[in-house]
Amino acid sequence: MGDNQEALAMITDQAGRLLEDAVTPQRLKSLLQKPGSFDRDLWLQTVGLGWAGAAVPEEAGGFGLGWEVLCALAGHLGAVTASLPLIQNTVLVDALAQADCGYSAVIEQLVSGEAIATLALFDQGDNGISDTPQLVYGSSGLNGVTAVAPFAAVAGFALVHALREDQSQPALLLVALDQKGVKRDLRNCIDNARGAAALDFANATATPVAVGDGASSLLMRVAARAVIATAFEQVGGAGSCLQSACDYARERKVFGQPIGAFQGIKHKLADIYADIEIARGCALDALAALESNPRAALAYAAAARVTAITAYEHAARENIQVHGGIGVTWESAEHHYYRRSRSLALELGAAPYWRDVLVDHVELLAEGY
Amino acid sequence: MDFNDSAEEAAFRAEVRAWLQQNASDYTEPLALRQGDPRIAEMGRSWQKQKAKGGFAAISWPVEAGGRGASPIEEVIFAEEEGRYHVPVGPFVGIGINLAVPTIRAHGTPEQIEKFARPTLLGEILWCQLFSEPGAGSDLAAVRTRATRDGDDWLVNGQKVWTSWAHTADWGIMLARTDPEQAKHKGLSFFLVDMRSAGIDVRPIRSISGESEFNEVFLTDVRIPDSQRLGAVGDGWKVAMTTLMNERASAADQSQSLPDVESLLAALGEQGRAANTRQLASLYAREQGLKYFGLRQLTRLSQGGNPDPISVMSKLVYANLLQDVSALGLDALGLPGAFAGRENHEAKKFQYGYQWSAALRIAGGADEILRNQIAERVLGLPGEIRSDKGVPFSQLPVGR
Repeated sequence: MGDNQEALAMITDQAGRLLEDAVTPQRLKSLLQKPGSFDRDLWLQTVGLGWAGAAVPEEAGGFGLGWEVLCALAGHLGAVTASLPLIQNTVLVDALAQADCGYSAVIEQLVSGEAIATLALFDQGDNGISDTPQLVYGSSGLNGVTAVAPFAAVAGFALVHALREDQSQPALLLVALDQKGVKRDLRNCIDNARGAAALDFANATATPVAVGDGASSLLMRVAARAVIATAFEQVGGAGSCLQSACDYARERKVFGQPIGAFQGIKHKLADIYADIEIARGCALDALAALESNPRAALAYAAAARVTAITAYEHAARENIQVHGGIGVTWESAEHHYYRRSRSLALELGAAPYWRDVLVDHVELLAEGY
Repeated sequence: MDFNDSAEEAAFRAEVRAWLQQNASDYTEPLALRQGDPRIAEMGRSWQKQKAKGGFAAISWPVEAGGRGASPIEEVIFAEEEGRYHVPVGPFVGIGINLAVPTIRAHGTPEQIEKFARPTLLGEILWCQLFSEPGAGSDLAAVRTRATRDGDDWLVNGQKVWTSWAHTADWGIMLARTDPEQAKHKGLSFFLVDMRSAGIDVRPIRSISGESEFNEVFLTDVRIPDSQRLGAVGDGWKVAMTTLMNERASAADQSQSLPDVESLLAALGEQGRAANTRQLASLYAREQGLKYFGLRQLTRLSQGGNPDPISVMSKLVYANLLQDVSALGLDALGLPGAFAGRENHEAKKFQYGYQWSAALRIAGGADEILRNQIAERVLGLPGEIRSDKGVPFSQLPVGR
């Protein structure tokens, strides 16, 4: 544990510094300009430092630092609005390792960062995980169109939720994306820096990772893990918004005093602080529950997700408001967070879906962790 | 941090459960007494004595100081298990143990600690908190109650208000002005007042719940020996801050008599749940987020540490959460919720929560004051431009 803590502190320290230097406003703005953008240079730089394998167990070829390191890295990414598929790669490796049947070549590529993963778990038009997926996997392969998924524009592998035709059961499929039957549909959207695309499959080759009840439970495992790590990314982003708003409120003066002295501003910021701390508490509890009460992890994840969405959205909106006109110019960095708060709130299922999950599973929260 | 019990902790929990089963059998149902009834204070006193006898009154205090010498985790475990009963802890724990004891421990002389802190833990002293005044609530440092030196004593004159349980208290912790020519925060001192002293007149205030837990306290030429001053002359504000930090830290403590989201779910039923998902999820998530800090706070406090600024946030969020939960609970129960009698325990819980939350949003630091504190102390935002800085208190307008 001591060694792990040291390694964890080292890697997250390094991450904070690297991201602060590398992720300049210019770089972020250029990524926002066209659909499906991805910062491949930053990705290569960070996988060179082992980030893609940091959380992966040693037996799967990673550093074995656990979900804690993924969450810490996600927090750093969120703080500067960098988009890297760390969560996607780590979660897919975990899912494949659960299935435990000869995915070692894929796992190796994901751990080294040579390949990128995307979690394409949603149907178009859905705001959550459906019990009856619209994509179909049958004798002619995989057919149908997924909802827009982050990193689908650049991923080598996708985890896809589909209906297995012959058994009339949902299945989780691993799909290699560099094949003839796969079209990536890039769309201009509010946050182009996410490398997002819809995946259009036409008789695509795919491998079932889990089917039926096995698929449902694996899907919930995948969703809980992705949601918890993303909550840290959201809390990181919200924290930066609060910091930026406070900095500006100390500097900007009107009516002979800093605007931060007015209760109209400072009370707003105090409320955002409370939202962020509540979200952080939920995220930390959810991370702990992964280890100590996995049965309840989904419920904890839902609480983390609902509070993280609220906190980031509140912080990103009011950060712009505190900045006044300057906050809505292209030059300002505030809109990077405003965009990211929205894209992270929608990827992995929107708030209404997770509210339902939370209310349906509250009894599990009462068990503690 | 892992809150699953280790083997020793599980053994301790079992011991606590067995002891509670033996000793708390009178408290399996909500008390049928009105809040403020002096019998509650007396029951609290005997409950505290019973705990002391069982060795659970000062679990994490060192053995030589009369405690059990156990870990803070065990303190948490006891609180959790005790929380399953409707024990009358209110006035005793809420004021004496949560506020007076940590303040005396932090600022008292060894003699004062010996005379007041230990006996409180052993169930011998009931306390009240003589802080607020008609002209000093949110602006607490504006207290006008005057303490003037008279030989080895102080003579105190003034009026306190919102003093919970003053009518049952043996002693009070009091903030008073010792030098009106100093600036507001500098001319204050902190005293321990024997509530049976001559010149103290306690009058009940009827609150929105119809109950009388609060009082006005009038002090006329009350004589206090200088040995009952806590901290240096002029350091009253600093001492009071310890009390206030602890008050905020404990304000979010859950009680059996207050509704939580779980009781809300029960009241809503399946249909009500579906119709209120949006609000329920937000309430539940907020409650869950508070728990994270609550458990850590309890651990820190029982280790003798100071509450951190997060406790200000917790109090702010909790009081509002309680109001939201209570309002939705009353909605869920429909007309019976608002109009049911006291025999309806479910409705009573939400009614009480609805009324108490309105008080809690003001008591121990109003929402607005807490937001100022978070903004200024945690976020580093500038204070408002003030006209009372550096001005002798005697020249300031106060009250209305």
